[in-house]
Amino acid sequence: MTDAIVPVLIATLGAGTPLIFAALGELVTEKSGVLNLGVEGMMLVGAIVAFITTSATASLWLGVAAGCLAGAAMALLFAFATLTMQANQVAAGLALAIFGTGVSAFIGKNYVGVALQSPPASDASFASAIPVVGPLLHALHPLVYLSWLLFAGVSAFLYRSRLGLVLRAVGESPDSAHAIGHPVIRVRYLATLFGGAMAGVAGAYLSLVYAPLWLEGMTAGRGWIALALVVFATWRPARAVFGAYLFGGITISQFFAQGAGIPFASQAMSALPYLATIIVLVLISRNPVMIRQNAPVSLGKPFHATV
Amino acid sequence: MRFASPLIAAALTLSTGFVLFAVLGKDPFAAFHAFFIAPIASVNGVAELLIKASPLVLIAVGLAVGFRGNVWNIGAEGQLTVGAIAATGLALQPALSESSLLLPAMIVAGAVGGMAWGAIPALLRTRFNANEILVSLMLTYVAQLWLSYLVLGPWRDPQGFNFPQSQPFSDAALYPLLLDGTRLNASVIVALAAVAAAWVFLGKSYVGYQMRVTGLADAAARYAGFSARRTIWIGMLAGGGAAGLAGVGEVAGPLGQLLPTVSPGYGFAAIIVAFVGRLDPIGIVLAGLLLSLLYLGGDAAQISMGLPASIAALFQGALLLFLLATDVFVNYRIRWVRAPRFHAEATA
Amino acid sequence: MRIVTRRDFLKGASSLGVAALGGRAIDAIGQQSVLRVGVVHQFPIGEVGWETQHALGWKAMEAAFPGKVKTTVVTDVVQAQDAERVFRDLASQGHKLIFGTTFSQMAPMLKVARAMPGTTFECCAAITTSKNMGAFEARNYEASYLGGVIAGRMTKSNVLGWVGAFPVPQVVWRLNGFLIGARSVNPNVTCNVIWINTWNDPAKEKDAVNALISQGADVLAGSPNTPVQGIAAEERGAWSVGNCSDFSKYVTKRQLTGDILDWNSAYVEAARDVMAGTWKSQSRWRGLGEGGYCRMAPYNAAIPGDVVADVAKREKDIVAGKLKVFAGPLKDRDGKQRVAAGAVLPDNDVRSISWVVDGVKGAFPKS
Repeated sequence: MTDAIVPVLIATLGAGTPLIFAALGELVTEKSGVLNLGVEGMMLVGAIVAFITTSATASLWLGVAAGCLAGAAMALLFAFATLTMQANQVAAGLALAIFGTGVSAFIGKNYVGVALQSPPASDASFASAIPVVGPLLHALHPLVYLSWLLFAGVSAFLYRSRLGLVLRAVGESPDSAHAIGHPVIRVRYLATLFGGAMAGVAGAYLSLVYAPLWLEGMTAGRGWIALALVVFATWRPARAVFGAYLFGGITISQFFAQGAGIPFASQAMSALPYLATIIVLVLISRNPVMIRQNAPVSLGKPFHATV
Repeated sequence: MRFASPLIAAALTLSTGFVLFAVLGKDPFAAFHAFFIAPIASVNGVAELLIKASPLVLIAVGLAVGFRGNVWNIGAEGQLTVGAIAATGLALQPALSESSLLLPAMIVAGAVGGMAWGAIPALLRTRFNANEILVSLMLTYVAQLWLSYLVLGPWRDPQGFNFPQSQPFSDAALYPLLLDGTRLNASVIVALAAVAAAWVFLGKSYVGYQMRVTGLADAAARYAGFSARRTIWIGMLAGGGAAGLAGVGEVAGPLGQLLPTVSPGYGFAAIIVAFVGRLDPIGIVLAGLLLSLLYLGGDAAQISMGLPASIAALFQGALLLFLLATDVFVNYRIRWVRAPRFHAEATA
Repeated sequence: MRIVTRRDFLKGASSLGVAALGGRAIDAIGQQSVLRVGVVHQFPIGEVGWETQHALGWKAMEAAFPGKVKTTVVTDVVQAQDAERVFRDLASQGHKLIFGTTFSQMAPMLKVARAMPGTTFECCAAITTSKNMGAFEARNYEASYLGGVIAGRMTKSNVLGWVGAFPVPQVVWRLNGFLIGARSVNPNVTCNVIWINTWNDPAKEKDAVNALISQGADVLAGSPNTPVQGIAAEERGAWSVGNCSDFSKYVTKRQLTGDILDWNSAYVEAARDVMAGTWKSQSRWRGLGEGGYCRMAPYNAAIPGDVVADVAKREKDIVAGKLKVFAGPLKDRDGKQRVAAGAVLPDNDVRSISWVVDGVKGAFPKS
């Protein structure tokens, strides 16, 4: 029994990790009241920059760092357009997604189809010594562990730290926060940059660990799914992680089902994750009270200080 | 300023282009000519421009109706696909293949198909409060997979060696050509009709007025009793119907059959067109022509100057970002004020 | 001081004119002997993959006729509607030979070929031709067959794995070739198949490979054109058989071999015939061998010598026409006999193949 489950578990953890990074980052951004729809674009830019860096330096972590910075840079564009120039957040987010796709294709044109020469190990060999769960842990990449750390960090930050309280206040009632003297715009800038940085890490994970190569548009909609996950999670980190693994699990299980010979049309199986997202969204959103209670009140609305 | 800001954004994009061309080592003026002027320097070029622009404009006016009311339909690509599927379903009926009613029926079917696909996010939003952005986007992937299933399975061309495509359509199922020697067909007329309809609806009708108010001042609209529900339905159906019509335009036009992919991303590009056109039907026509020129220029510049293909996508995204940034001059008036002496956060 | 007379002026002007015209004429004659060739790629050209093999083809053409051939390459023409416009543009700008590189470009190319009878067109993987449009395709099922023979001998679990993008004939004939080859040396072998329904998602490829390996496969093959499968298989300690390009640069240890597409002859011969004026429209479908369109990647050192020798002999037999991959008796997955004993599946049936041989497990559209 464990023989059958363990590979599925490992694969699910791997598949869910980019979603966790992107979703948690976007969650923080949205908690501050900013709706950044450009996650897909930021992930792609993070993926290609990380790939180019690791190709040149043969270092996984340098690549991840570069991807992180690239995602943050894209988020900076968005933040400038929406927070300083007061542009419509939905439109700017869409523009960022499209622009990011184009930019990543442009700078990646010499790397299409190229795989990393010596791909960084996809597992954490140091963990193999641990008894019992060793083999399971051994098969996971350090970034998977990092995603767990991120979850712990984000939860602690949001709900147990003063800065997190300020951020949540900015998202719930920016006018009150401003009246108290908190720098609303600066908080939102930082939250948006954080979201971009995490999206960049998610992209880096895809192109360095998961693949490891670069193809145009290789995120294949994962950025949008991360956005859906934030709603699915009603803006709570734990639920976001659960949702990421749930989604990853559905995606993986369709392959196992196909391989086992279950005779559904493969396109129907491939559609399952997207249909599941819709169903879950409906179930969560069905209770408008729950949404109203959990969604940051000022989400998507521009703020400008009126003295 | 309302009309100047898209022009400023366009100018900024073009200057970015100049810099980019120089960075790539090409003569900027020659590249500029190859990209923006050469593609439309002939009758055939203008026809190609119109063919490329008409689905963009068509979908964009439909989306604009929704965007004006804060209804964000991002799934136009999927609605286009379903419209194409619906039209193909009729075109493949042997009993209809010579009928002169076939093309009109396909047009209606395409619009209805797109509207049906757009109705799903509308329903889920009005009944269950599910975010229409995400639902419509997820449905895009589902529609694409459905299309793949159809062309690989039940609708595969029996003479096609089992390759993924439908039977080529009979002549009665194709849009008539408007200009000999070019590909310009009657779908351009459909696009123009949609522009006119959107202009009348948004500018001159009471319901359109209600939608605009809902988009600009949601609380005021509710206070006035305007139905948010109706806004959502009209917004999604307008976008879905327009996208469905564009889908018919592709399969009954340049493609002539159903293929595994029917659209080069028109559903997403139309979003850019809608914004660059400031959600106004006339502006959308101009924006559509500009964006189509970017597409055509991308291919032409590759042929004549060896410029990389991804430049076109870069331009599009840059154009939209610049536009959004320059929008600030439309919404706000910038005034220089001296910072007050005491400690208060200065206003921007 | 020399007075410039009208006569001098006329002399000067006319000689300039002659020089200009003459120069133009020489230019024109010179241009006539340079064949301008257009090539349209659907996706960007990478280091490996479908587009790369085509790029190798037209580069071989340029190398074969130095100075006589000038290529214009257009990439990222993803959709058929755009391909039609690009073909027309190329044809109207003096390109006399235009190549399409994928099946989806066939329909637009046919339309443009009809409208531009003075230009020669060639389309890879096309299934129809016309007076000025030819087609070429590889019988890469022959190479898959040889890959399958090796897989059949190297597998220890007797379970093979196949990750496919879409169940189209070009992929299915390779899957069948693979399993037929494997079964010819190891009748107990089966093959699990997963269709990922996309050409462009390496993460899904990796997940599919992992799923197959977890379900027992120890030799992987498939249709996507990236090394991801091989890399993922190598990570888990499984073998892989490459496809399209030689991935051994990335799959350093555990690539058994690969069926490599080789379009050099297609490009070179087409250019040669057009320049000599002897080009005729035909549908060329070649496999292994000299001037063919596919070949095997170098064999992994871990493969036992007798297997390599066996494969080499089979390759010779295939090229000589003595060994036919789709020779009967062949049963499909549902038990129906598709090819009788002693018969060979006709070419048209191979081209349109929509069934899989016995031993393939996994989802498959009903034919």
